Amino acid sequence: MSSYKGSREAFAAAMMQLAEEDPCYVTISPDSMKAMRMVDFAEKYPKKFFEVGIAEQNAVGCAAGMAACGLVPFVATYSGFITMRACEQVRTFVAYPQLNVKLVGANGGIFGGEREGVTHQFFEDLGILRCIPEMTIVVPSDASQVFAATLAIARKPGPAFMRIASGREHVIFDKEVPVFELGKARKLVENGNDVALMTCGFILSRVLEAAEVLKGQGINATVLEVHTLKPLDSAAVAAVATATGAVVTVEDHNVIGGLGSAVAEVIAEQAPASLVRIGLQDVFPESGPAEALLDYYNMSVDDIVKAAKTAMAKRDHRRAG
Amino acid sequence: MSCEAVNLVDVARLLRRDVVDTVYRAKDGHPSPALSCADIVAALFFKVMKLDPQNPTWADRDRFVLSKGHACPVLYAALARKGYFSRDELPGLRSLGSCLQGHPCMRKTPGIDMTSGSLGNGISIGAGMAMAGKYLQKDYNTYVILGDGEIQEGIVWEAAMAAVKHKLDNLIVFVDNNGLQSGGKVSDVSGIMPIYEKWQAFQWHCQEIDGHNMNEILAAVENAQQTKGKPSLILAHTVKGKGVPFMETDNSWHKRVPTDAEYKEAMEILGGMDCE
Repeated sequence: MSSYKGSREAFAAAMMQLAEEDPCYVTISPDSMKAMRMVDFAEKYPKKFFEVGIAEQNAVGCAAGMAACGLVPFVATYSGFITMRACEQVRTFVAYPQLNVKLVGANGGIFGGEREGVTHQFFEDLGILRCIPEMTIVVPSDASQVFAATLAIARKPGPAFMRIASGREHVIFDKEVPVFELGKARKLVENGNDVALMTCGFILSRVLEAAEVLKGQGINATVLEVHTLKPLDSAAVAAVATATGAVVTVEDHNVIGGLGSAVAEVIAEQAPASLVRIGLQDVFPESGPAEALLDYYNMSVDDIVKAAKTAMAKRDHRRAG
Repeated sequence: MSCEAVNLVDVARLLRRDVVDTVYRAKDGHPSPALSCADIVAALFFKVMKLDPQNPTWADRDRFVLSKGHACPVLYAALARKGYFSRDELPGLRSLGSCLQGHPCMRKTPGIDMTSGSLGNGISIGAGMAMAGKYLQKDYNTYVILGDGEIQEGIVWEAAMAAVKHKLDNLIVFVDNNGLQSGGKVSDVSGIMPIYEKWQAFQWHCQEIDGHNMNEILAAVENAQQTKGKPSLILAHTVKGKGVPFMETDNSWHKRVPTDAEYKEAMEILGGMDCE
């Protein structure tokens, strides 16, 4: 059972464990020590904690240099400052040379950025990274999974990005924490093949609720958690899409570029199915409380339920046609 | 001039020949930015740096980052003459299937410590290498060559701050101050001047030298190596296209391929066709 206050605390706890494990694990902070809950780490391991000031490009550049000399540096700060401000350093000096740099982006989605507003809400990060070769991209769904995913990306050689949030996320795995198996999508609900709900990240809590609501209405859903966006478990996505013929993707990200796009690509090329994409509909959101924001931008449990019915109707229409 | 310096001068001349020859045969590449830093590259690769061409990934080797990656013909020439790969590879520059990419690639070319070419980034990466060296308690130094144009990039100054904060006295950075960039004179294109005073203001150990004088290059490196507690900047005044007079006066040689006649003329100036 997990007992972290939030995903950032879980990340920090995992870093403490890694620091004990092997001297190769270090962290670089572009003044993100407090934001990323690394105060205790910096105190306990001052030599493993490199503060470089508010300079994300340099943070990633330094990480590339360190990795080229055998270290495994983690750069942790707000997701957009890694994926946008330092995008080129990530692409050209981490991904292209396949260096062992680990990037951890907080404030993922509008749920993560919430009251901070658009400057600190990041809903393009996954799309930006997904079109960069060699990147591993993971989107864990609660704090316990962040802990497990941190260890998983640390131990897999090569560039990796993990998206986390800012403390509003729900505890999903409160009894048993499943293994975080990189690159493997997993079925969390197998009520039946009426419809598939595919998701990644903290919004999984809403998807699980929606599956319950659907069940109450006699609709048996499969929930597929696609926590590794890259490399995508396209076989699992295709199998579930084929079995159900009706898919809803649910993500706290622009519907362009992230999970919705990734699933659409699999469906289009391998497994024809009806698709509805839930997410931010290519608009700039605004400040607000995390839960209310998701509701306002059509990512409520009710929206997921409605989307499931729409996807099923489209499928039935297609099949009848 | 010491005997050693005389030999290094000759090495630099051979590297310049290779640069002209490579660009001529490959029919592509940047000759004059490579010529301006040929003396510095000769000094580093043939005198200063601890290297083992038989073991390019030796953990204790000195590190080198050519931040102005478009000058790679001179780096490729140095690596080939050190024995990292055959000189027969040089004309393959920029061609499909060659190990010599248009800009340095650490995964394709033996002896390249870091991919480069996107300007400004080399000093940041060099700072990371220097931080790793201190953390791992290794005594290697990291050498970076920046162009004077590329220090207009913001990341250069981000890294300059971090290098001082982390007391990276194992980081030695040259600025190849040839005064020109793609679009014209550095002093016209941007507000980067004065360069030396900027590095001083950032609290670096600063030296100013003639970047074509081998004795000055070697003395400055030694001075930098002995400096403790802060990173070193060596502002090397150079001439873009140095060694080939018609390239020294014409910035179109930033990226240009010599004609047969120009090639012949350049090779004659650099010691004749069969001078080796």
